[in-house]
Amino acid sequence: MNDLVVHLARFASDLRAAGMRVAIGDEVDALEALLRVDISDRAEVRWALGCALKIRRQDADAFDALFAQKWLGRGGDPKTPAQPPSATHGPGRAGRALAFLSAATASVEPAAQEAETGQPGSSREALFRKKPFDRCDQRDLLAMEPLLFRLAQKLATRRSRRLKPTRGPGRTDLRRSLRRCLATGGELVMLARRARPIETPKLVFLCDTSGSMEMHTRFLLAFARALLRVAKGTEVFAFNTELTRITAHLAAGEQEQALARLARAVPDWSGGTRIGECLAAFASRHLRELVDGRTVVIVLSDGLDRGDPELLAGALRHIQARARRLIWLNPLLSDPRYEPTARGMAAALAFVDRLAPAHDLASLERLISDLTV
Amino acid sequence: MTPEIRQLLDAMGSEGYVADAAIATAVFLAEDLGKPLLVEGEAGVGKTEIGKVWARVRATELIRLQCYEGLDVATALYEWNYPRQMLRVRMAEQEGQTADEMEKTVFDRSYLLERPLLRALTRTQGPAVLLIDEIDRADEGFEAFLLELLSDFQVTIPELGPIRAQHVPHVVLTSNCTREIGDALRRRCLYLYIDHPSLDKEVRILRARVPGAGERLAHEIARFVQALRRQDLVRSPGVAESIDWAQALVRLHRDHLDLEAVEATLGCLVKDRRDLAALERDQLARLLEGAKAS
Repeated sequence: MNDLVVHLARFASDLRAAGMRVAIGDEVDALEALLRVDISDRAEVRWALGCALKIRRQDADAFDALFAQKWLGRGGDPKTPAQPPSATHGPGRAGRALAFLSAATASVEPAAQEAETGQPGSSREALFRKKPFDRCDQRDLLAMEPLLFRLAQKLATRRSRRLKPTRGPGRTDLRRSLRRCLATGGELVMLARRARPIETPKLVFLCDTSGSMEMHTRFLLAFARALLRVAKGTEVFAFNTELTRITAHLAAGEQEQALARLARAVPDWSGGTRIGECLAAFASRHLRELVDGRTVVIVLSDGLDRGDPELLAGALRHIQARARRLIWLNPLLSDPRYEPTARGMAAALAFVDRLAPAHDLASLERLISDLTV
Repeated sequence: MTPEIRQLLDAMGSEGYVADAAIATAVFLAEDLGKPLLVEGEAGVGKTEIGKVWARVRATELIRLQCYEGLDVATALYEWNYPRQMLRVRMAEQEGQTADEMEKTVFDRSYLLERPLLRALTRTQGPAVLLIDEIDRADEGFEAFLLELLSDFQVTIPELGPIRAQHVPHVVLTSNCTREIGDALRRRCLYLYIDHPSLDKEVRILRARVPGAGERLAHEIARFVQALRRQDLVRSPGVAESIDWAQALVRLHRDHLDLEAVEATLGCLVKDRRDLAALERDQLARLLEGAKAS
């Protein structure tokens, strides 16, 4: 019996080392299950353990392998490959940041531009909707800002399905009405009502600012900024070779100043990428506090990564398990010839709820309905 | 194999549910440890069926709660019978009852409408099987409420006080994995993932559920469906679909598959417009050939 406890505890720690979430309560369940089944029947023990330790579908193969190797004295220590610190550096950080800065500040007054083009808002909007971001310049970005904001406002129009007590109009709530009328001797003085409150989703953006994304980053960050004003709980992170929380930098002031502040705040702006390491850092440092079952996590990246795809897949799996949805926006998707075969992207696909293009306003518009789910 | 598990396996088999060791072990442990069983898997692999067959095997009542977004306590647990309460309040007024007396009369058990969860707790003749279907459709708020219910098997109705389960029900929760079930609820349950069945198991299921289907038809259907699941379809056919298909073919008096019959009845199996459009005649012919060859 004691041996069994020790063996089970070792096995559970092996499972944890392989990335499965096994809590102490699960071990207790497993022990109770083992006391009830035929220990000599290996298949039965496997099913009982899987059931009590709550091994999910995606972990089933890894679990089977470990079970075959480790359960009741088979095999030795698995060789855990040491993680080589992979440092990738883009070409001269300062230079790239400067180039970005100059692009961001070489702008014109929106009013002046309005006069120049002389077009009314709606047709300009139509013009912009299909214009790919990588062919837009700084002037376009400024003109797009109100459009992005209007787009973001659509986010906060969905009503919750759950009825909440309200003072305003709504459906009659008999339970509460009746409680109240007891106080007035059975006379219905005022009806209590319930209505469906407006529900804003919580969003977390993880935005790739590496060189390969440069053309898109500005637009997607502007989009994130617009959403930030509508959905209050929104958090924005930038990553390239390091992860940086940029919500505060984005929040205030004019758009170009915000973007300029960003370029200063984010190390290695427009440099190389280590998606896996950065997302793993997010998963270990911020996942618990920022992401819950109401949060939609959006990764903006082209998936061109020189790091370890295993690391990326592991991080995404954790994020997906905790978030309501995990959406990956990839500007390259607009190209019909593109197949998500870049190593990072291929590893990511299994753990992403939705892979969507993000190359023009129309594609962001389609995204809105996904964010509100 | 533990004798109880073997018994359960046989009992489920004689009720027309072809279980395997994994399923029987999970049901046995859930029953023996008194824990809810969370069953996940693709649509149509027989998750709901586990609850139904469990109730039949134990010869008890099946109480089913279908989840949906916005499901609340009034629909899931209990509701007061307001019209009756109103009438009673009027009568009490005429009788000149005090407010206290009135409250006591009106909030009595006889004015309580039991919804599925409360019924599962208050059942007096032995434990019921409580099937909470498609929990992933309900929202997190409801999940949190379930968590409390499933750990203590006790609910508190403000006007009546706590109501404790007389017999702890056998609980099955099913999920189609459209949303990740919260960790806390998952930890409270035992867990079972049901995959699409193997060829051999699917043949046995078809033979058990569609008695009219001969050995040859069952084998060909199973092989065809298994091959179809390996195609890249938006909606893969589950066992429920292959049973439907077998029934349709039996109704059309087929004892084997041919291209004409497959084309005529494909709607039983493939239930997505895009999939139907993507499956071309020569691809069907190839699949059919594969199903007949071995």
